[in-house]
Amino acid sequence: MRLRSLPGAGSSALVKLVWTLIILIPFVSMILLAFRSLAALYNDPLGLSGAWVPENFRQAWDGPQGGSGFSVYARNSVIVAVEAVTIAAVLGSFAAYFTATLPPKWRRQAMIPALVAQTVPGIALVIPFFQAFNAIGTLSSPAAVGVLYGLLCLPTTVLILHAFFVDFPSDVREAAAIDGLGPVGTFLRIVLPLSVGSLGTVSLLNLIWVWGETLIGLALLENSASQTISIGLLSFQDKWLANPGALFAGLAMATVPIAVIYLIFHRSINSGVSLGNFR
Amino acid sequence: MGIVVVYLVPFLGTIRLSFSTWPGVGRVAPAGTANYRFLFSDPTFYDSLRITLLFAVVITAGVMILATATAMSVRRGRGSTALRVIWFLPAIAPPTAIAVYWGFSFQPISGAVNGILGKVGLGSGHAWLASLTEARWAVMGVAIWAGVAFPFLVLVGAIARISPSLYEAADLDGAPKWRQAWNVTLPMIQPVLVMITVLELIWNFNSFTFIWAMTRGGPVSSTSTLPVRLYSDAFVHFNFGEASAIGVMASVVLVAAGLIGLRFANSRSDTE
Repeated sequence: MRLRSLPGAGSSALVKLVWTLIILIPFVSMILLAFRSLAALYNDPLGLSGAWVPENFRQAWDGPQGGSGFSVYARNSVIVAVEAVTIAAVLGSFAAYFTATLPPKWRRQAMIPALVAQTVPGIALVIPFFQAFNAIGTLSSPAAVGVLYGLLCLPTTVLILHAFFVDFPSDVREAAAIDGLGPVGTFLRIVLPLSVGSLGTVSLLNLIWVWGETLIGLALLENSASQTISIGLLSFQDKWLANPGALFAGLAMATVPIAVIYLIFHRSINSGVSLGNFR
Repeated sequence: MGIVVVYLVPFLGTIRLSFSTWPGVGRVAPAGTANYRFLFSDPTFYDSLRITLLFAVVITAGVMILATATAMSVRRGRGSTALRVIWFLPAIAPPTAIAVYWGFSFQPISGAVNGILGKVGLGSGHAWLASLTEARWAVMGVAIWAGVAFPFLVLVGAIARISPSLYEAADLDGAPKWRQAWNVTLPMIQPVLVMITVLELIWNFNSFTFIWAMTRGGPVSSTSTLPVRLYSDAFVHFNFGEASAIGVMASVVLVAAGLIGLRFANSRSDTE
């Protein structure tokens, strides 16, 4: 028995090792290259050797000549992310809760728009967004893009929270009603405090999406001082030809914070995804 | 309500604009079916459509095969939680950071891909992203690398919901691991598998960020999928009417494919 299962176990361990390397090497080399000079980078494209040049990070933070630096992009990304996550959480939890208290027949109907919206590609929406932002004069405004991102997060938010609220024990709600709480009071004072976990999961998933969103931001944030990290990295691409180390420093600064947040909350994020969040 | 405002209204706006001309400033002028007639007579539009379908099918196939294999390999055993976390990282990193990193890696001499190829004696001077035939494979490779993570984790969830007693029964029958994967795991996760495959086809049909960040649709237009063409028509050439017509036609192709896919999925589950 042991002998027979041995080759199988060995080959599966090899597959796991190879796949882990394929995933990890780019991340490790991205971080190593952020510390390398142009010359070292040409000698060793993986960044394993050469002198340490932490100066790259300061250059990326301050920005290239005639362009915005990472500090500007980071500030815009934080504005956009805080707004979007808050808006999605507030509107999404209300919508999800009050559709979850509907009779079952209506409940399913209420989720159809959210399901359909999840498959609508951003590419079919980006031009009207541009038209609208152009008409009301909010092009290159991270604050306005944050609101739009928040609304775009609603389908996923509502779907996940709705599934949670439907399973919420109805006797808790009824007890609150007997104690004289109205539906809104029940929601705010009883249900919401007990839903912090799933609200957190949804908010983390929204944060990851907003942090990486590119297409809509690229169209709506024209001025480089208004761009988020995702968009800013695209202009870094052409501006750091003389010192790619600073470009890699930008990539590392874009990737490491969100990866750290993931490593801290991986349990909650992973459960959110495996339970069927189909963004 | 919010969903209607940010999804339905703009989509109707795209349809309306597809029958108009608008250079990005000033008034929107009605243009009848001119945008559509132009696209139907434009051979590069058909090229774009072909490239888009190639991207959608190849990336989805690559992603689903790798995701299924990797999800099965961490069904249990030591370290599988850590592996799940590591293997999901590409879905966490900002797509532009991934694309810019890989775009640099494919550069001749200074790029990591060529560095590795050079070390194993395959030459380090290959300009992947400048090649009419190879750029698209490089971009698809990156999209697959980054895209496996999400369906991987969904499938891990689906596999975790399979009753352990099925595997115990298979163990008692002496079925080897690969047989259990084929005869127990695969049939049990089939509904989830079909659903994510359909979603992946839609997403990869619409994929934009990796292509834009790595090649901007070039060289020439060898990686110009419909979303890339739409974006550059609108925001580089300020031809918003034509871009909207591309958006409408891409949606028509998707809805048609989606309906066929659903029909296929339903008839499969009816016969089994």
